Amino acid sequence: MGSYDVVVIGAGNGGLTAAATLARKGAKVLLLERHNVPGGCATSFCRGRFEFEVALHQLSGMGSPEKPGPLRGQMDRLGVTEKLEFIEMSDLYRVVIPGVVDITLRPDWAAIVDELQKHFPDEKEAIVQFYDLVRNLFTEVIGAFYLGDPEVSREKYPLYFKYALRNLQEVLDSIFTDPLLKFVVSPYWSYIGVPPRLMTVVDLAAILYSYCEFKPGHLLGGSQALSNALADEILSNGGEIRFNCAAKKIMVDKGAVMGVVTEDNEEIPAKFVISNASKISTYVDLLDEPMPEDVRMELRQSAVSISAFTLYMGLDCEPEEAGINESTTFICGTTDSDKAAQRLHTIEIGDLDAMLFTCYDAMTPEFSGAGTSQVALVTLKYGEPWLKIPPRHYAREKYRIGEAMLKRAETVFPKIRNHIEEIEVATPLTHLRYLGHPYGAVYGFEQLVRSSNLFVSPRPSIRGLYSAGAWAGYPGFQPTLESGVAAARLLLKELNR
Amino acid sequence: MKEDIIKQLDGYDEIVKEIEISRKYGTDYSLEKGSVEKYINLLHPKAMSLKVQDVFEETLSTKTFRLVATDNYLPPFQAGQYIALSLEIDGIRTSRPYSISSQPNQTGYYDITLRRVENGLVSNYMLDRVRAGDLFESSGPEGNFHFNPIVHDNTIVCLAGGSGITPFMSMIREIVECGLNRTVYLFYGNRSFDDIIFHDELTRISERYDAIHYIPVIENPPESYTGKCGYISAEVIREVIGDVTGKSFFICGPQAMYDFCLPEVEKLGIPRRKMRKEMYGAPNNIWEFQGWPKTVKKDDTFRVTVRGDKSFDAIASEPLLVSLEKNGVMVPSLCRSGECSMCRVKLISGTVFQPPGALVRKSDRQFGYIHSCVSYPLEDLEVLI
Repeated sequence: MGSYDVVVIGAGNGGLTAAATLARKGAKVLLLERHNVPGGCATSFCRGRFEFEVALHQLSGMGSPEKPGPLRGQMDRLGVTEKLEFIEMSDLYRVVIPGVVDITLRPDWAAIVDELQKHFPDEKEAIVQFYDLVRNLFTEVIGAFYLGDPEVSREKYPLYFKYALRNLQEVLDSIFTDPLLKFVVSPYWSYIGVPPRLMTVVDLAAILYSYCEFKPGHLLGGSQALSNALADEILSNGGEIRFNCAAKKIMVDKGAVMGVVTEDNEEIPAKFVISNASKISTYVDLLDEPMPEDVRMELRQSAVSISAFTLYMGLDCEPEEAGINESTTFICGTTDSDKAAQRLHTIEIGDLDAMLFTCYDAMTPEFSGAGTSQVALVTLKYGEPWLKIPPRHYAREKYRIGEAMLKRAETVFPKIRNHIEEIEVATPLTHLRYLGHPYGAVYGFEQLVRSSNLFVSPRPSIRGLYSAGAWAGYPGFQPTLESGVAAARLLLKELNR
Repeated sequence: MKEDIIKQLDGYDEIVKEIEISRKYGTDYSLEKGSVEKYINLLHPKAMSLKVQDVFEETLSTKTFRLVATDNYLPPFQAGQYIALSLEIDGIRTSRPYSISSQPNQTGYYDITLRRVENGLVSNYMLDRVRAGDLFESSGPEGNFHFNPIVHDNTIVCLAGGSGITPFMSMIREIVECGLNRTVYLFYGNRSFDDIIFHDELTRISERYDAIHYIPVIENPPESYTGKCGYISAEVIREVIGDVTGKSFFICGPQAMYDFCLPEVEKLGIPRRKMRKEMYGAPNNIWEFQGWPKTVKKDDTFRVTVRGDKSFDAIASEPLLVSLEKNGVMVPSLCRSGECSMCRVKLISGTVFQPPGALVRKSDRQFGYIHSCVSYPLEDLEVLI
């Protein structure tokens, strides 16, 4: 133990990549994690003969060694790619409304268009137009943002200037006629938790672009393997990690960070802190002085994101035996996204809820042991109604809703119930417990334009205090992993000054 | 991106208006200081401060400790769950998981019921030295050995051995007190009749409620005894319950009981998904396990070095966690049976023996993390806490 340049609070994706980047650059870094394992959401838990993946569904941005995606580059630079086994998925999604529609798409622009044209022959041109738009739009985003064009102009990036702030619903309505088609091209909204009316077309474009260009994937050993690889990288570069050690206070003096106090009341002096805790706990609970006015404004203009209700199921058979052939299936109940979005605010799960059914074993039989498979069935739900359940009724409600959710899954996969060997139910309160996020939020702030990085600055308002993770930008694995690297780079510029 | 460019984006003015309004009327999160922790503590407090309210003698070797919260709030739990009690005994800080034996429909108190273990550091301390009024710290309720209405049948077959009765006591008490629609067949194995814990209560309940069947199984019964004798065998189970379909099995007891009963249950053709097994601490005969190297004797000692801290000698047949605790190195622990991963530490050098059944994550194995509660040194070790 000694003095540290930087204390990183929280070993979620952002905290881990931040600390790994700093350690590799020779900074003296200490990573504090309140739990006994690294990862935050990027973790796993064991039940019987199963190790359940908690949060990763379709990892974006890895690409292949021949066609590396942006995330692969970053993971390479952090030295973790070689310690991981990345599996490319050959399906994008199956989307089902029982009795209404059942379509499976592959992560390939031409294949998507082909498949959809078969199902919707009257809108062949519209289909081409839509996918051309999202593809070209995101190509412009890459040019303007990721490649850092110094001279961004409307002439060079016409689609971006036109669509950057447009909502998805408007675009769907302007291109397509059939409500079913609008629904089939956009089920990812239910995975983001913001209906097409409120999410930007750029956000959908980002997902489709990444999955079509670089393919979705997952990791053998689950996201915990990635978290462990990053932790290993921190340690082997001289960084320190303290598990079971939460931060209690960020000490500030005259607008500058002075250090961190741990839950054991140890004062750790440091001029820099990267917080991977929620932005709200960082500024409301951890900061030992009132939050700066600009942060207060930023918090007010943002909304806490949605949480999730998940069934983790270990099956005592191979996926085919349970009738599972795709890794990713959206089980939905209506083409009306506004109606489905109302469901996000209720505890109940009924016929209209949209849910995501993920089974890695369908693509990668070795993910779970031979003769077994695992399923994560997740639907997004706001945490607030769950907070109103009296604690003594919580377990009962959890199982009641879990049962309702399993019933919905049975409409598409009727055989699964009789194969369940292990089952665990996670509610918004479970996420609240393990993440420490208000309302059990799993995505940081709601992904609304007004709280996007176009309107919120990443520059610290308290000298030395940086943020990483979903609260500092976008949710999801790739963005949060990238956010830690970005925060570390910003910090290093100051540190080396 | 530069601000002047953002201003040129179509729809910019509308977003700015939206921001102005939400800044005025949006949620002021600064008012919610401490709220997350408050919610967590209602269900899953990390630590609780408990007081022994009462001590009841159950048998010659067993006592029940009635625990209340010093701040008057105990969180709800599910029948079958445990708390991990923290203790300091003769300078050694350690913890032990104990199933709650009282019913979950009231949380005025938690009962834990302990049987004396020969040479057991904690059980002897608890039975001989703990009195009403003593204070303890404990974890919140933990564990996965409980009924789950989504997958479990309403008829449950419970196989208990010795003090493994405690989670079932909580379940049965809840069922009868709350009138739950569940049928229970409780097979309860003990060495002698006098060892049976809760015999009178179980007898009374089973006579009063048709849905609760209590079948004591005694290894060395007294002459006057007319019940089931020997062990809980496939035959004994089948004779009582008949058809095994539509029934979920729960088993809790010492290692010797699992060694006998699990193959018996298998004989009945019970699929894995119908069987829940509670953990029951680290094995006390690890050197007899398959895979234990012949070259290492149970009394061999090895040097354990904690990076940045101290070195000490550890006995091969003693879990690393216990050796660490005896030498004053604190590692948090809950289940102490290899499942919960709370006592996870990183092995920097050396090898340990981990029995099959330790639920270590695949990538933890890859990166050298071990569950110290069921890791036994096979050579000199260096660990990172």
